[in-house]
Amino acid sequence: MSRLVQVEGLTKVYGKVRALDGVTFDVEAGEWIAMMGPSGSGKTTLINILGGLDTPTSGSAVVDGVDVARFDEAGLTRYRAEKVGFVFQQFHLVPYLTAIENVMLAQYFHSTTDENEARLALERVGLGDRLTHVPAQLSGGEQQRVAVARSLINHPKLLLADEPTGNLDEANEQIVINLLTELHIEGHTILMVTHDASIGRLADRRIELAHGRLQQIITISAEN
Amino acid sequence: MFGRLFWQLIRGNRGRLAVALVAIVGGGAVISAMFNMEIDVRRKLTQEFRSLGANVVLSAHGAGDQALMNESAADGFVNRLGPQGTISSPYLYLVARTRANQPVVLAGTWLDRASAITPWWQIQGEAISARDDVTRCLVGKNVARQFALTPGSEIELRYADKSAHFTVSGIITAGDDEDDQVFTNLAAVQNLSGLVDRIQMIQLRVPGSVVGIQSFASQLNTALPDADARPIRQISETEGSLLSRIQLLMITMALLILVLTGLCVLATMAALAMERRADVGLMKALGGSIGRIVRLFLAEVAVLGALGGVLGYLFGVALTLWAGKRVFGVMISPRLEVLPLTIVLMVGVALAGALPLRLLGKVKPAVILRGE
Repeated sequence: MSRLVQVEGLTKVYGKVRALDGVTFDVEAGEWIAMMGPSGSGKTTLINILGGLDTPTSGSAVVDGVDVARFDEAGLTRYRAEKVGFVFQQFHLVPYLTAIENVMLAQYFHSTTDENEARLALERVGLGDRLTHVPAQLSGGEQQRVAVARSLINHPKLLLADEPTGNLDEANEQIVINLLTELHIEGHTILMVTHDASIGRLADRRIELAHGRLQQIITISAEN
Repeated sequence: MFGRLFWQLIRGNRGRLAVALVAIVGGGAVISAMFNMEIDVRRKLTQEFRSLGANVVLSAHGAGDQALMNESAADGFVNRLGPQGTISSPYLYLVARTRANQPVVLAGTWLDRASAITPWWQIQGEAISARDDVTRCLVGKNVARQFALTPGSEIELRYADKSAHFTVSGIITAGDDEDDQVFTNLAAVQNLSGLVDRIQMIQLRVPGSVVGIQSFASQLNTALPDADARPIRQISETEGSLLSRIQLLMITMALLILVLTGLCVLATMAALAMERRADVGLMKALGGSIGRIVRLFLAEVAVLGALGGVLGYLFGVALTLWAGKRVFGVMISPRLEVLPLTIVLMVGVALAGALPLRLLGKVKPAVILRGE
């Protein structure tokens, strides 16, 4: 396996708060990492920096050979379109676009749209019969599956999932977890923030943060 | 995808956009009605002023028999220098005598031009429409009363040792000196007086602005040093001044309405920009550049402006017809050229009103996605 993510001394300061404080770790391509820790430990800040949604105060975050910390606004925009896919706890679908249009929106900002590919992506997550439904007509689990299809449509190097099952009931949670497991088996690199230890145990490694600092990195197979 | 996104954006925000559209249609309707009325009122006023008759008089210098000029030369310059649509009529006056040796002012002119040069004449009987009619004349009402003339009567007029007979074609009521005069063919009067190809003045109805008319008069004065061309200032300047004031009023009102419409759109767009922060944050998170996102919104606003312009024009036409009939009591004809003008103005106002959308450039996706 090759190293896809290299985080070195990553620090983020908001006013007097050090949201991240010298965090250092690596992620191999194809790995599934569970990012865990209490609220305010810096998990979301870390995932936002790796996703190009935020910039660090110091340190480096190299993804697929490029340091996210060095990008300007335009560079970050291209990076988000090309290198990463997001799955959010709140789904974050555009409410007036249909399921297929939400997926195509990511294609549109990446390059050109391909409706057939978008349809295949939705069929892949079991929503072939929900293509023309708007988010309000979909259940929470279905919305999250649309979000997963959208995150994968541009073949990103890194899939970032922030509490992807946090707003789902047990049945839908299982569907999304099964999807992530399949994606992992197919070789996708996944960095997932979760509070749920049982979901965390599905990953290859668990990175635990507290007060913005890296507490420990646990290889799950060794733990079991 | 642009078109698809564009229509879904409109569908998804149709409530707010409808408010902006109503403001644009309202502004467009008033603008369209005002321009329609302005153009038509201008046309009607110009026609009204034309009905006032001559607005330039070209007269020979000097007094008595010396106050004459060459008809063919003067007419040649008028035709060559006059703007298109210029109507002229030469005059030669003399004091003739009736068989009873009563003096009467006889004017030779082109009576086929009387309706343009002296449109206020009321003629009882028949007007004379043929310029070469040397047998008939029109007599002022005072002359008719003095000599008991009616249409069909005969009158003999003498000048020096010559005389001429005319049949009265009509009686003129002008409310002016013309009521005391007899009008007939110019050549007949020239023959009677022996002043062949000589005239005392030309009355002209010249189209165009005050400045254009004054320029034409100056050119005539240069070309004809023995004559004096004078605009009849009262008519020319009143026409110019009134049209300028109407235009100023219309432009001021139009600007005011455009500003008010722009403010309405601005308020709606400010609310819409706040509502769209989440969408824009998400689009940015998905790799959308702010240029691409704002272009989408601006296209939406431009289409809104164009649609508002078209609908506004149509409502404006209805308003024009209604106001013309009910307020001014005249039929005002809507003008098609107002349509593109209304569309351009409304698109401009809509785009200016969309300024709050630039705030979306400052949206931080991470902040929006946190739900703040």
